[in-house]
Amino acid sequence: MKFKGGYNILLKGRPASTVKAMPEPKSLYLPLSSERFTFTDIRVKDGQKVSGGDILATDPDNHAVPLLAPRAGTVHLKAVENHIVLEDVAHREEHADIESKEMQHVERQMGAAGIKRYKLLSLGAWQFFHDAFTGALPDPLGTPKAVIVSTLSLEPFLTRGDIQLHKRLLNFTRGLEHLQSLLEYQPIYMVMPNISSEFANLIRNQIRGYALVKMLEIPLKYPYDHFAILARRLNLKPDGGPVWAVRSEGILAVDRALTLTKPCTVRIVSIGGIGVNMPTHMKIMPGYPIKKIKENYIFEPAARVINGGILTGKILEDDTLGVDTECRGITVLQELQEREFLGFIRPGWSRHCYADCYLSSLRKKFEEKYTTGVRGELRPCISCNYCEEVCPAGIMPYLIHKYLYADMIEEVEQARVDLCVECGLCSYVCPSKIDLRKQLIEAKALIAKEKEEIRQEQLRQEELQKQQEEARKLSEEKAE
Amino acid sequence: MKWLLKIIDAARPTFEEGGKLQILNPVFGALEHFFFAPATRTIGAPHIRDPLDLKRVMSMVIIAVIPCVLAALYFFGLRFIAMIIVTYAAGLTVEAIFAMVRKEGINEGFFVTGFLFPLILPPNLPLWMVALGVAFGVFIGKELFGGTGRNVFNPALVGRCFLSLAYPKTMAASWVEPSHELAGSLLTWVSPPLDAVSGATPLALAKQGEMGSIAHQLLGSVSGSAGETSAILIILGGVFLLFTRVANWRTVVSMLGSFIVLTGALILGGAVAYPMSGVFGPVIWHLFAGGLLFGAFYMATDPVTSPTTNTGKWFYGIIIGSTTVLIRNFTGYVEGVTFAILLGNIVAPILDEIVIGIRIRRLRNEG
Repeated sequence: MKFKGGYNILLKGRPASTVKAMPEPKSLYLPLSSERFTFTDIRVKDGQKVSGGDILATDPDNHAVPLLAPRAGTVHLKAVENHIVLEDVAHREEHADIESKEMQHVERQMGAAGIKRYKLLSLGAWQFFHDAFTGALPDPLGTPKAVIVSTLSLEPFLTRGDIQLHKRLLNFTRGLEHLQSLLEYQPIYMVMPNISSEFANLIRNQIRGYALVKMLEIPLKYPYDHFAILARRLNLKPDGGPVWAVRSEGILAVDRALTLTKPCTVRIVSIGGIGVNMPTHMKIMPGYPIKKIKENYIFEPAARVINGGILTGKILEDDTLGVDTECRGITVLQELQEREFLGFIRPGWSRHCYADCYLSSLRKKFEEKYTTGVRGELRPCISCNYCEEVCPAGIMPYLIHKYLYADMIEEVEQARVDLCVECGLCSYVCPSKIDLRKQLIEAKALIAKEKEEIRQEQLRQEELQKQQEEARKLSEEKAE
Repeated sequence: MKWLLKIIDAARPTFEEGGKLQILNPVFGALEHFFFAPATRTIGAPHIRDPLDLKRVMSMVIIAVIPCVLAALYFFGLRFIAMIIVTYAAGLTVEAIFAMVRKEGINEGFFVTGFLFPLILPPNLPLWMVALGVAFGVFIGKELFGGTGRNVFNPALVGRCFLSLAYPKTMAASWVEPSHELAGSLLTWVSPPLDAVSGATPLALAKQGEMGSIAHQLLGSVSGSAGETSAILIILGGVFLLFTRVANWRTVVSMLGSFIVLTGALILGGAVAYPMSGVFGPVIWHLFAGGLLFGAFYMATDPVTSPTTNTGKWFYGIIIGSTTVLIRNFTGYVEGVTFAILLGNIVAPILDEIVIGIRIRRLRNEG
């Protein structure tokens, strides 16, 4: 598949390339759920003292991926709902290694290669891995068909690869080598904005002879860095085995876990958007109190704080007190306050428009101040076809919308709603202000649910048949 | 403008559910949202939206036809203003009644129809017929199908088609010879039927073997529907629409392209003969004659009634372009753009069905 669709939205509040170390917090609030994980299996007791790198909880549904204690401290389980609170936090020397006894046990069970994977999982590096097609956490013991490594992060304003990699190129190449040692002959695809740049040449020289790395250059257009789109671009099919996908921070985590055997807890999180006084990047650990971030960076009291990017992130509710383990960026947006007078006939010198309907299309590139306004009334679809043009997955959102309106679920499935990558561009461009992204996600969930029901029904039928057969056999035996 | 917002806020309870004028809520809503953009906020991802809304799309079309409206005023006089007012009054009444019955808001789509409809009528048509035509077009062509976004036919063309079938004689007698003076007919009021100088349209004259000059067609000083005479102004507005991407260039290019190619082929093949010599001359003459350009830029590009898929748009344009050639040259009608576009409207869903069918088959093998 070739790249198609996609669109870059230029907004004000792009984080500067600096990384600021935040002051050490006194207490950490670790949320028990993040985008992919829900940590239900709690491994610590109330009041227990833990050191940095200890496992606080795991997610039994996701290969027991751990929630690590980023720092030493005292655990409070019931202080805040859905959080593990660490009090009296201290930055002591981190818990350096996994206990040797446990290590030997693992080695006996899984061999030398297994130990690396065990380290990745228990030291928190594995959570940076994604299945390219589903986005879920891949099986750490499985063998992938290929690995996609992306240095890009194109959604505004998530932490970009160049910031993660700044001064850490050596760690990156070492991480790639470690990654290669987990594989047999499977290729690693490196996705970069420019494969003839100095940076790319450096990587090429460093890893020559170690890893089978193929470079892929992609245009800097949102959301071409989405793993499912990249996998389709590389002609990888979901039925041929899993494809792992990981961003630069994941490779750095692999390096840290396998070279130093240290837990990967500190991460670089962007803070950007219009409501931020100095958009930048922060070096923080999961559980970092959001209140502190707000005090330092957000000047707007009525702002919306988003966990993630501006197009796919979730609103950070007031009852979430800390940064979660998967956070890649915090975006702050002004809420719409005033109703615009005669908005539709204004020239729009400072307004971006996908369709060039404002005077600003005569201007050079500039950044617009966006608010959370829907900027129009909900109207029926007028078949303008913008959503299809902008769709990076090559599906027809308007068609699915119409099928959903007519309750034609089978047709929705045939229109391949499952290829949707939830990038949000269709909702963004729609002049009728239809929330297509939401409808598509709901349709996907509905179809998945129906499929599951059918599967359950089939299982039940098979079970029933088996029972009947057994009963018949029994009666035949009795008759004999 | 805070005072206006205050008045609107104060008046709102009267029109909301339980208020005295509850039935007029769609009218109130339309007025409110005309002045003030709604205060709705996004509820989840994506948290921001493109500024383009339907109001803006429709106002872009209206901006694009303003040159044609001015030309109509210049060539055919002040009476054209009355035609616009009558169109708006009659059409909005139908629209508002349906909005009240359906309890939905009044859609912006009509504001464009209200400008386009008088532009495609003979300039001297009795005003009651203007009202009847637009009411018919909006009622049959749009509201019966479910309103904006669900109509199969372009409402303005349905209205015009109805008038030319129901009152062919009056329609034919309503053409006016445009003013050839420098001041145009800017301050004159030509009214039917006494003081009108009935002028045959260039296409009607061509059927009788007389082809006028291309320069007049370019400027617009020929007889014809109010807004379709000046080729240069139509192209100006049309190109604006193409640049802002409100109109899709594929429809325009394929419609005009197929028209030029087919007319040229017919002349070369000797199937038709024109009093004008050569191939290029008659083709350009026909391109500028009648409502072809106006239809291509403003009527065929209506996103609702044309196919949604880009491939479908190519075929849609070709069907309209070639049907126009066939009607103009081989039937008793002198002009065929209206019928051709309506035919295209019928075919559009089928074209979409075919293209979507192919695409879905291709998608099945994806991933």
